[in-house]
Amino acid sequence: MKDNEIDNLLQAAGASHEPDSGLNSDVLNHITATVQQSLKPVRPLPARWVFVAGLLLIGFAVAIAGAARAGFFGIEQMSPWQRLLIFPSLGILAVIAAGEFASAMIPGRLRRISSGALLAVAIVAMLAVFALSFRDYQTTNFVSAGVACLLRGLLHAVPVALLSGLLLRRGFAVKPVSAGLAAGALAGLAGLGVLELNCTNFQAAHVLIWHTAVVLVSAAAGALIGWALHLLRSPRA
Amino acid sequence: MHQEDNLEMLMARYQQGDLSAASALIHRVSPQLHRFFTAQSLSRTDADDLLQETWLRIHRVRHTYRSSEPALPWFYAIARHIRVDHYRKAIRISTREQRLEVEPVHATADHEPFAKANSLATLLAPLSPAERETVVMLKVTGMSLEEVARATSSTVGSVKQKAHRAYKKLRNLLSATPQSSRQRGEQS
Repeated sequence: MKDNEIDNLLQAAGASHEPDSGLNSDVLNHITATVQQSLKPVRPLPARWVFVAGLLLIGFAVAIAGAARAGFFGIEQMSPWQRLLIFPSLGILAVIAAGEFASAMIPGRLRRISSGALLAVAIVAMLAVFALSFRDYQTTNFVSAGVACLLRGLLHAVPVALLSGLLLRRGFAVKPVSAGLAAGALAGLAGLGVLELNCTNFQAAHVLIWHTAVVLVSAAAGALIGWALHLLRSPRA
Repeated sequence: MHQEDNLEMLMARYQQGDLSAASALIHRVSPQLHRFFTAQSLSRTDADDLLQETWLRIHRVRHTYRSSEPALPWFYAIARHIRVDHYRKAIRISTREQRLEVEPVHATADHEPFAKANSLATLLAPLSPAERETVVMLKVTGMSLEEVARATSSTVGSVKQKAHRAYKKLRNLLSATPQSSRQRGEQS
């Protein structure tokens, strides 16, 4: 059977089904009456770029504030080549994550990349950048220093996630898990930004595993929160 | 295209609190959304309930529509969200019923699945819910790949993949039962 034959079959089935759809005027009148009861003018959401700019501003402000408090020791000790590789990469990924989070909060918005793919791209890109930038393969205080960095990164991701949620509070996520994942990835990138500005531990294993883990853990937490919020808001079975 | 333009204009007026625009939208979009629900093998009562729930949600989040965007995918995005919620709720209920090992309660005539009487739902029954909704939007509603991607919050590539898988399944099934497909075609 050819595709156009299936097309014809589907269209015929859809057309034949239409008169018997069972949608009666009572249902439509009931809906109209319900809508009428609370009909008042609403202010549409601002353009997507406004949200993207706002999200980037939040991420940038929290990263700078966090590094200002802890010290810009990391960026000071980096070579120009490392700075040139790491910070523009972080910026590009943050722009993509902010765009995807904003899109996830506007129904009917075209997605260029799925949230899962976004996370995979962010992780792979940062791993590649770190692998190219850091060549010290020692593992001194691997766990203790790593856990400290992970916690510091996540600590800075939290305010970014909260402020981002506040900025997009008027949006509506048709896929809450996906929106949570994008928000978490954005917050994680901001947390990673703080670590890159501050952390002076340039051991490849430390940066590759513990710094990148901030994005991964933050995105997973975001997805989990999105799922939990959706369960809380949806009607119980 | 003209109809699309009108939908967008009506949506903008609805956001401004215009009752006639709200009423026109409800009467124009509801049959399509109802068909979208019934094509997912839902009973007529369930489809009515979901339609009302969808409009309540549309009304609550009407500010999220932007006049520069196509309106139909926006409606379908919300309808789909409601349908997915309903699907998950139904799964939770069926899981509990299985765990308790209770005999299944027979549906009343009013709740009888449309699949028995509805050739579209019967035709699409072997597909997964995601494939089914993709085929309905593309082939029955006549939306473009980009509009379906907008409505399902996915990428155009993902929509193409789902449509391809759905057609592969349909082709295999219909080729395996040429007699029944011919009969279905004749009935329609």
